[in-house]
This record gives sequence, C-alpha cells and structure tokens, in this order.
Amino acid sequence: MELAIFLILSMIGIASALNILIQRHPIYSALSLILTFLSLAGIYIQMQAEFIAVMQVVIYTGAIMVLFVFVIMLLNVKAEERVPNKLIGMRYVGIPLSLLLVTALGLNIFQSFSGQTLRVSDVSTSGLTGNTQSIGKLLYTQYTLPFEVTSILLLVGIVGAIIMAKKEL
Amino acid sequence: MLMDNLQSLRYFYPELTLIVAMLVVVIVDISFNRLRNVLNPLLTIAALLIAAYFTAYVNHGQEANLFLGMLALDSFAQFFKLFLLLAALLVVLGSLHSEELLQVHQGEFFALLLAVTLGMLLMANSINLAILYLSLELVSLTSYIMVGYLKGDRLSNEASLKYILFGAISTGSMLYGFSLIYGMTGSLNLYTIRDAFLSQGVQGFDQFTILLALVLTLAGFGFKTAAVPFHFWCPDVYAGAPTPVTAFLSVAPKAAGFAILVRFLFSGMTQTSGSEWGLVNGINWPLVLIGISVLTMTLGNIAALTQNNLKRMLAYSSIAHAGYILMGSVVLTGEGLKSMLIYMFVYLFMNLGAFLVVTIIYNSDRSFEIGDYHGMFKRAPFLTFAMGVFMLSLTGIPPFAGFLGKLYVFLAVIEKGLFWFAVVGTLNAAVAAFYYMRVIKAMVLEEGNGKTAPLHVSFLNQALLVALLIPNLILVVFWNPIERWTASSVKLFSGL
Repeated sequence: MELAIFLILSMIGIASALNILIQRHPIYSALSLILTFLSLAGIYIQMQAEFIAVMQVVIYTGAIMVLFVFVIMLLNVKAEERVPNKLIGMRYVGIPLSLLLVTALGLNIFQSFSGQTLRVSDVSTSGLTGNTQSIGKLLYTQYTLPFEVTSILLLVGIVGAIIMAKKEL
Repeated sequence: MLMDNLQSLRYFYPELTLIVAMLVVVIVDISFNRLRNVLNPLLTIAALLIAAYFTAYVNHGQEANLFLGMLALDSFAQFFKLFLLLAALLVVLGSLHSEELLQVHQGEFFALLLAVTLGMLLMANSINLAILYLSLELVSLTSYIMVGYLKGDRLSNEASLKYILFGAISTGSMLYGFSLIYGMTGSLNLYTIRDAFLSQGVQGFDQFTILLALVLTLAGFGFKTAAVPFHFWCPDVYAGAPTPVTAFLSVAPKAAGFAILVRFLFSGMTQTSGSEWGLVNGINWPLVLIGISVLTMTLGNIAALTQNNLKRMLAYSSIAHAGYILMGSVVLTGEGLKSMLIYMFVYLFMNLGAFLVVTIIYNSDRSFEIGDYHGMFKRAPFLTFAMGVFMLSLTGIPPFAGFLGKLYVFLAVIEKGLFWFAVVGTLNAAVAAFYYMRVIKAMVLEEGNGKTAPLHVSFLNQALLVALLIPNLILVVFWNPIERWTASSVKLFSGL
C-alpha cells in the first residue's frame, strides 16, 4: 500500500516536472509546477514530515506560485516562440553529458534501494512528540545560528530587490 | 571545547559588529539625506576596523567550537577573517573615488559590502554543512546584486543575470552533494562526517556514491573559486560589474571559497596519524584537484592572451591564479596549505592594485581597452610605474611579492615529488608573462593617441596606490613575519 502511494505520487511528480519543460506557455508550466509541489508534499506526509508538507503547500504552492502566476499575467507573457537556437552545436556535448549525469544519479538511487548505502540519520529528538515540535526545538537550540543567518539572507534579498526594481533611490 | 549559543556570543563580536553596522547604514541611508554620502563610508570603514580589532586581539589564540559545533574559532579562521576584512577595507577605499559608482546611489552599496563580508567571515570558520551553505548563499546573493549595481548599464545587468543562473545551478549541485554526504554519515558536522568515514572504512560506503557526492560538492566550491570547468561566468561577470566590485570579487569571495574548500577537504576527508596526513580510504580528491588545477591555470592563461579589454584580461588572469592556489591543496602537507595562504596574501595586494589602476584610468578616459592605455607613461608616470610593479608581481618576477607566492607553492609541490606539476606551473607563468608585459608595453613604449593632458589621480587614490605598492615591493625582503603567521595558521590541520 505504502509503496503504491509512493509510486503514484512520484509518477505524478516526475510527469508534471517534465511537463514544465515541455509546455511552451508559461502559465501551463507554472500550473505544472504546482502539481509537482503538491505531489512532493504528499511524499513528505508519507515520510511523516507533516510540518514540512504543510509548509510546502502553504509557502510554495500557495504564496510563491500565486506570485508567479500574477507576474506572468501582469507581464502578459505569450507562448514561447520557436526561435532558431544559436547554440545548436552544444547539443552534441550537452546531451551525452546530461545522459551521463542522469545515469550516475539514477544508478546511485538504484543502489540505495538494494544496498545499505544510505543510512537513516538519528536526529536526537527523543522525548519530543510530533514533528513540528522537534523542528521548533532544533531551530532554537542546535540550529539557532543558521536560523539567524537566514534572516540576514532574507534582509539582503529584500534590499537587493528594492535596488534592482526602483528607478531612482 | 564546545560552546553553547550564549557563551559563543562573546567570541562572535566581529560578526555582530558587521551586522549592526549593516543595519545602521541602511537606516542612515533613509534618514539623513545630506549626510549619508559622508556618513556611510565612514561607518563602513569604522565597522571593518572594529571587526578586525576584535578578530586580531580579543579572539586571538582562542580555540573553541561555537554555537554547538557550527563555527570553529581557530587560527586558520583568524587568518582568513583578517585577510577578508583587509580586502573589504581596501575595496571600500578604492570605491570612494570611482566614477562608475558615483553615477548611482551608493548607500546600499556599503550595506551590501558589509553583508558580503559577514557572509565570508562565516564561510571562513564554518564547520557545519548547514551554516556553510547559508553563508555561501549570503555571499552569492549579495554578489549578484553588487554585480548588477549599474542599473543603466546593459553589460552590468547581463553579468548579474548570468551570475545568478550559473550560481543557482552550482548551488543546487552542491546541495545535492551535501545531502548525499548527510545521507551516508548522518551528520552535518565535518568532524563527525570524517569519523563516520573512518569508522566504517571503505566497505561501509559505496565508492561510487562517495565520488558522486564529492564531485557535486566540488562543483559548488569550484564555482565560488572560478576554477575550470566552472569558470564560464567569470569573464562576463568581471567585465560587466563595476570595477571596484570586480576587484572585490576577484580576491575576497575567492579566498573564502578556498577557505571552505580546505576546511571541507582537510577536516572532513583526511585522517591523521602522528604528523602524517592520509586520505580517508576511498576518497582520493588530490587526483581530481590536480586535474582541475592544471586545467584552470592553463585555460586561464591561454584565454587571457587574446583579450584586449583589460578587465576581461584580469578576469582570465584571476582564473589562472586560482589554479596556482589550488596547487597547494593537493599536497597533503602543512607546507602546501601554508603556501596557499601566502599566495593569497600577496595576490590580494597585486590584484587589488591592478584593478585600482584600471579604476583610475577609467575615471578620466572612460575606457578599459588596452589600446587606450597607449602613451600613459607620459601622462601619468607614477601610475604607470605602479601598474608595472603590479603586472610584474602578478607574473612572479623575483624582486616583487608575486614571486614569493609562486616560490612557496612550487616548493611545496616539488617537496612532495610532483616535479611535472611544478613544470606545468612554471610553463604557465611564462605564458602569463606575455600578456602582463603587453600591458606594460602599451603604457610605456607605444605612442599615445593624441591625449597629452596629465591624468588626474585623486589624493585618496594616490595614497591607496602607495599603500598597495609597499607590500608588493618589500614582502620579498620581509617575508619572515608572513611565513610565521601563515605557518601558525595551518597548525590546526597539521597538528590534528
């Protein structure tokens, strides 16, 4: 049962991820991206990481994707036109190299199914009930510094966005 | 000693100073319309000096793991922090009289510079993959903005976009590498990762997975240090960015990139028994790095030969120098690491100097083309002399500081018996001599194209030129303090 749900979710995820690339109209790509995020959220729930799943839906699927769609509509982006690609010669290098990467990653994932390559880590959250609680606990103890650095990163992002977007400061 | 969050704050003053200063600069920029152009540079300079004071005196000689094993407080980090603060300070001074930046509003520039410095300080002492990634992102994100700071300039915009796209992909691959390492060892801490690799031996982990994780991670570090084949962004970004930003990018984030590379490889992937260093079984990164190093210096030097835009030429030359610095990391000795630090230290002065001359000439002539440097000797003899010294120093000609860097790197490699590697390096230096000499030839021997008015160099820039010239001229004689300082900085790795 678990495997079946996982397979269905991952199939949907991969198919919609491919659809992002195949579609030539940005709105369709954006909608496919939402589907990818939703199926990822499903996989998170299956891993009993319900907090991350909810965050995935609220932040990515909700907030960020709505902005995406808004921007696409405001800019009135039309379907991408087929223009002759100047870098066409690159495909002879690019396709073999990307195939190599896909094979390497695929082989790796395949091995992790059969062998004991990947170990499940033991995060020290014993005594805590629930996923959300342990994340909160970790964020305010072990990972306080990264948490704070993230806030500075966001501040720089905001300042940068204003610099880039505003005509005169 | 492992310190908890509150205890660690006592040793976190340099970073805290930068955070506070950054916020103050943003606020001053909004509040004081008249004074902000005077106040902000002063605040920035003061913050950098205070941070350097805390690093050099208050935190000196302390050894601890701060924030529950997130940051390491040690002499290696101290070296890099002082180096990065010095680089930031020189760039702030160099950017004050840059016509490119005076065209646009400057306030946020200083806030961003403080933010990127903060990110680099964190990079230099992170021993945890989470904070390592975050600080790297902080540096990258800020760099993207600084590169695109000239909004009206198409080249600057293009450079920024290219940088973001390349940066995003390399960060993605690096994160995937981190996740594989985390999956294998169950830890983000570099020392725990090493212990996990050691206790499990070769059999415990899949060779292929280790190699994949390492290659993906090195791709991220390679991007930061602009090593071949992750260098494609470098020439366009360096040519498009405002010159002071280019000078900054070519020295500081590169050095920070080398700092995390050394930390990641030597703390996470090496075992020590006595004074001997060995590789953790199954992880042979020197072999990969030798290849990258040879490719980096050769490609950088050969591509630099045909450049007519001085900024592009210096971009390729900085790629080549990254190759020389990498040479030091492949020998598993303290000498190798020491030579890396010495090379970076002298590279700071010669490269910032060269970019300062480019900035000064652009201020009055509005050109980066070597053709427009013709006859510069008659118009600005001192500037030409300075550029000559910086170019010869970059080449590695004996009486100048650049020679010292190359000497130590080559010696470290030869001591390890890698003669052919040293030969490749020397041949590369010979190739590099050609394009550095070309600049001197253009400035001294070629006839000018009509312009005869003496070039205006502001007093600040003159003082800065002298300040950058002195280390280039005297370091070869007074190399002893540098040698001792760098040797004590790498003790951490050789003593483990």
